[in-house]
Amino acid sequence: MIRSLDDVSRIAGEKGPKKLAVLAPEDEEFMLAVKTSWEAGYIEPVLIGNAEKMEKLGEKVGFDISRFEKIIESDRQRISDLGIGMLFSGKLSIVSKGQIPTAYVYRSIIRAEGKAASGMTVSVVSFWEIPGLSHLTAFTDTGVSILPDYKTKRDILKNAVFLYHLLGYEKPKIVAISGQRKFGRTLDSYRDYRLLRKAADVGEFGDCEIIHATSLTEIFLGPSGRLRDYRDIDLEKIPHIILVPRLDTGNIMCKLDFFLDVTRFSIVATSKGAVCIPSRADFSDDIIMELAMGVVVADRLEKELR
Amino acid sequence: MAGTFAEIVAAARNRAARKRLVVSSVRKPDMEIISRAAREGLIVPLLVGDADALAKKCALASYEYEIVHVKDRDEALRAAIAMVREGRADMLMQGSRDPKTFMNAVLDAKTGLLKGKLASHVSVFKLLKGDKLILVTDTFVNNFPGISEKQLILEHAIKLAGILGIEAPKVAALAAIEQVNPSIPSTLDAAVLSKMAERKQFGNAIVEGPVDIDCALSHIAAERKGLKSVVTGNVDIYLVPEIESGYLLAQSLVFLGKMEMAGVLMGMTKPVILNLPFVSRENRLVEIALASLI
Repeated sequence: MIRSLDDVSRIAGEKGPKKLAVLAPEDEEFMLAVKTSWEAGYIEPVLIGNAEKMEKLGEKVGFDISRFEKIIESDRQRISDLGIGMLFSGKLSIVSKGQIPTAYVYRSIIRAEGKAASGMTVSVVSFWEIPGLSHLTAFTDTGVSILPDYKTKRDILKNAVFLYHLLGYEKPKIVAISGQRKFGRTLDSYRDYRLLRKAADVGEFGDCEIIHATSLTEIFLGPSGRLRDYRDIDLEKIPHIILVPRLDTGNIMCKLDFFLDVTRFSIVATSKGAVCIPSRADFSDDIIMELAMGVVVADRLEKELR
Repeated sequence: MAGTFAEIVAAARNRAARKRLVVSSVRKPDMEIISRAAREGLIVPLLVGDADALAKKCALASYEYEIVHVKDRDEALRAAIAMVREGRADMLMQGSRDPKTFMNAVLDAKTGLLKGKLASHVSVFKLLKGDKLILVTDTFVNNFPGISEKQLILEHAIKLAGILGIEAPKVAALAAIEQVNPSIPSTLDAAVLSKMAERKQFGNAIVEGPVDIDCALSHIAAERKGLKSVVTGNVDIYLVPEIESGYLLAQSLVFLGKMEMAGVLMGMTKPVILNLPFVSRENRLVEIALASLI
């Protein structure tokens, strides 16, 4: 079971290098991450983007990119389509977003899944490594569905549970989080939580458990507890998967790593391989971990697909 | 300018007149906080309820207090609200009353304490690094506010920021992304609020929006995304798009960030203090102090 970033790095080193397309590595942090990941033996990069920018950045970070396959393209959507196209045609194992808006990448994946008739709902899983915890925690969907309905949440959850199973978690715990308070009307997110619990009880998501809580207060304090002392907060209680009710909530929560002592890395497990989704604001250390996680997921997906 | 919770309590203590705090339902933990606030000279408690029971709770009180006998719990809450409306009390505390009954009573358009069109909850957090307070709103009341409601919610937070000494607050109108995307309503609302601020519709407040949380928290992250603003990395007020984000963000900062939090209900004729389970006992005292400054 993969419990930490140390596990991710170790396995990426063992299973790499995997062929990975980088979509527009046109920023120093991204190019540095590609360089370090290649040196660590995680990846063999295929660089797709603006030739001049990539050359300049390669020089700047001391990375000779002449030895790698390069596809010269400046149009953002074309860059994304090319990389995702290579993933879906089996030419490589992983794609990573570089310095382009995420919407282009999601559009490419959605089109490719449609073409492959996989029936897969595209969703993003953003993992957190919280120091000292014995498990990874993940938020989903943090990238694609603006306001998912019940059916879409079901698919999002299936994707996340599948990913956790791939990582070796036999029965991940899930919280379907909601802004429901003890006053006011019942929110859709709370109704969905009840439906999802029923669906989980009859095995719709495979081995997993949706816990009886919809807020962090209920997770950490129970249904009627009260915070007495901050030292009493046991972070180990946080479940594996946090299903968020909407994109705004997911994005705001998962990117709190800028505030907190946690490391974040985001992945889309497509029907054909892993796509790493670093934020354009991420720094090279975080991006390296994303790429390493991509290698681990790609390796396990390959075994699953075989 | 208050940069710590201790400074909020000190400012409240230094006020010339103590505020009269009314509460209609108190259990032991509430009474401990009220007693402490009274002993520290922040308030004079006005306790509404069964006189015999309340007298027992106050048996050892070394401070000034008043008991108003109303046996029925619902009647007691109505009486407490009436005391605020009539100017006999300066602030109302939820105490142990259940949230649904309490909120319905205080938000009642005819008999409650609503000042204008809506109330909103502002959560004040003490940053872990440095002496700085940040405000997050709305963290409890409004489910899915539209642009006109967000305008009021922001005005409430700006008012509280002013009370805390933040004269020209920097506001991040949060959304999932930092670009305006017509498919994501929160980005449109944030952009409108930002434009309103440019036209000085929020006084001296500087509103940047839409801003995603990484840009709000980090000036460097924002610059890497091409967003240059005096707000990024130095936000005073985080305006959330809706309650799912607001309620969960407040809890995330408490449980995951271990940040101290105290809050107050704004938009009322007089301050109202809620009883949220994720506010620590210690910080309930800060909430009383905060309310007494309004």
